[in-house]
Amino acid sequence: MPATDFRAVLRVLLENGVDFIVVGGVAAVLEGAPISTFDLDIVHSRAIDNVQRLERALTALDAYYRLQPERRIRPQESHLSSEGHQLLMTRHGPLDVLGAIGQSRGYEELLEHVTELQVEPGHIIRVLKLAKLIEVKSETAGEKDYATLPILRKTLEEKGHG
Amino acid sequence: MERNELAQPEVLEYSADGVDLTLIRWMLSLTPAERLQVLQRFVNSVEEIRAQNAGD
Repeated sequence: MPATDFRAVLRVLLENGVDFIVVGGVAAVLEGAPISTFDLDIVHSRAIDNVQRLERALTALDAYYRLQPERRIRPQESHLSSEGHQLLMTRHGPLDVLGAIGQSRGYEELLEHVTELQVEPGHIIRVLKLAKLIEVKSETAGEKDYATLPILRKTLEEKGHG
Repeated sequence: MERNELAQPEVLEYSADGVDLTLIRWMLSLTPAERLQVLQRFVNSVEEIRAQNAGD
């Protein structure tokens, strides 16, 4: 199994000019929530040129579907153009490429709820703000989300006090 | 010493629903890059332990 390296995945996406927003657990951590996660979740722009850039980045990352790792099925342009969730393994660990999250919320809708953060020199990423992340997670909450939502809400409260 | 001289402003360690507020405050004291580093180190540590026990 490849060693997880969040920064390496982000670097490849940025170097390929992919428009994306970091969501999920890594977004929560970047916003200050003390939770753990093992995969990187992104929502990408499904504009044709961006999907093509994303496909190039995923090729560079040697991405394939985690569901049947032995078959090494690669994500295609048609998959990446949909609202669906592509649960991938890359050379730098798990990457979930999400066409939309919550109640069909895509890149353009989420874009007005992001903060831009530098995770290493010269590399700026868009991260979904904690308040929106809580809202989206609440829409489709599963057991894992029910466990983390109280922590996210308290983090948002504490940020408000700061 | 009067009892109320010992009184400190109330700083809770846990919220009513059991969330560790000290961890949240610690994470909020870090920069985003440092927060990612904390997560990366955690994941690396777990992966190292898993690898060491892979034959078990």
